[in-house]
Amino acid sequence: MQIEAGGRTDLGRVRKNNEDCYSIDSSLQLYVLSDGMGGEAHGEVASKLAVQTVLTHCRQAENSRATPIFGESSPEISERTNRLASAIHLANRKVFETAASNPEQRGMGATIVAAWIEGQRLSLAHVGDSRAYLLRAGSMVQLTADHSLVAEKVRVGILTPQEADASEMQSVLTRAVGTNSSVEVDTDEQALLAGDSLLLCSDGLTRMVTDPEIASTLLTSAASQDAAERLVDLAIDNGGVDNVTVIVLRVGEKSVSLFRRLKFWKPRSG
Amino acid sequence: MSRLVLKFESAPLKEVPLGTSPVTIGRAPDNDIQIDNLAVSNYHARVYVEAGSLVVEDLNSLNGSFLNDIRVERAMLKDGDAILIGKHEILVDQAHDAAVPLDGLRRAPAPRVAETMILDTQERRKLFEAAAAAGERSQLSPERSRVPTLTVMNGRTDQKEYRIAGKLTVIGHSKMATVRLRGWFTPEVAAQINKHEDGYYLGRGDRVPKINGVSIQGLTKLNDGDVIEVGRVRLTFLFRD
Repeated sequence: MQIEAGGRTDLGRVRKNNEDCYSIDSSLQLYVLSDGMGGEAHGEVASKLAVQTVLTHCRQAENSRATPIFGESSPEISERTNRLASAIHLANRKVFETAASNPEQRGMGATIVAAWIEGQRLSLAHVGDSRAYLLRAGSMVQLTADHSLVAEKVRVGILTPQEADASEMQSVLTRAVGTNSSVEVDTDEQALLAGDSLLLCSDGLTRMVTDPEIASTLLTSAASQDAAERLVDLAIDNGGVDNVTVIVLRVGEKSVSLFRRLKFWKPRSG
Repeated sequence: MSRLVLKFESAPLKEVPLGTSPVTIGRAPDNDIQIDNLAVSNYHARVYVEAGSLVVEDLNSLNGSFLNDIRVERAMLKDGDAILIGKHEILVDQAHDAAVPLDGLRRAPAPRVAETMILDTQERRKLFEAAAAAGERSQLSPERSRVPTLTVMNGRTDQKEYRIAGKLTVIGHSKMATVRLRGWFTPEVAAQINKHEDGYYLGRGDRVPKINGVSIQGLTKLNDGDVIEVGRVRLTFLFRD
């Protein structure tokens, strides 16, 4: 599929450091976003290391199928999706080991959400409360389940979504990259369609901007980069209490079959 | 503000502010504090303010309400009291700042700008085991050990029956489709089924599928026996042993 990507990160209005980071690799169609945690500037170290490790591991795997797999492979998901999960397992190990060997960085960690597209298949993997949303035919769904205390309580039915929104516990994560020697990675797959929009974002967006506002911004923006800029501006206008980072992907027409090409063929001008 | 905190094996499950109206406790879902456990009566007890004092009253429950280990029918409450109902404990927390986090969830005071932090895995496990033990909706469904299948009732497909083995099941003409639709004008991805933690969800592709004759709106959870309609193809979603 043709993917048009845009991204932006911003410090916000309150924080002193930007601990978020993201990366767009258009040739690999690999998109990674991470939100770091840990005092001083250590969150920055954690998120950069996590993103870099995921990129390097996936690039290596593209060049050599012999690249080792980290973590357990699942038969329920494609090789690509397993590879993406493997990259996050490796990132976890790197951040954890770096923190262990630098006492002042102890406890640093990061969330991560990564999307990798091959043909029509979208591979997704995530840890923490950075999210992926899919906008299709005008309606938007959240593809990831937050690994936060309030979200998990909502899922087991001991908190209502309204109580969760009002909770002071929103910043308590139940999983993060690099805070333990191993981590559980959630994966998902989707079949993409022309016209779909995909959004990856840090909680700096979703705490400041409601889902309907996000959906309408995606729907009314011309290009991905335009949508990314507008989403970040909205988060800052609404308070910008945290770093805010977004990646917006637009799915274009896939290379159409010969039959359809003949059916819809018309001479190009210019 | 004063509040009641429901705990199970010392893990806090829920907190309810104490206002002017009584707080009801019981197994029925319309209670303010619902405890889904057979040892708890439908309307077990209530807590309310009377003449400036906080009072707990047992509503003729089968197994009784206990205040600091003594069975009570009606008793005055003070800060720090523990009401025991079944295996659940309800703590009376009077006139504390509501922003003070619950014990055991956070050890450090809340920072000014909420810093992200990670919950200790042991604490997390304790919390969710407690929730499961309390008979709350568990993530494990009995369908879990059974294999989901799609059986073709009508329409042109490459097989008559499919086992759903992956997280993503595509219905369409595409190479990645599990359920391959035949015919010239069938869409690449007509619809898709995604496996989530709590079950299987049907979503639209280039077509809006129907479940039991009704067009879906957004992702819709599939139930055993549902009939899925995508274009001219009809499939039954069934769990098999």
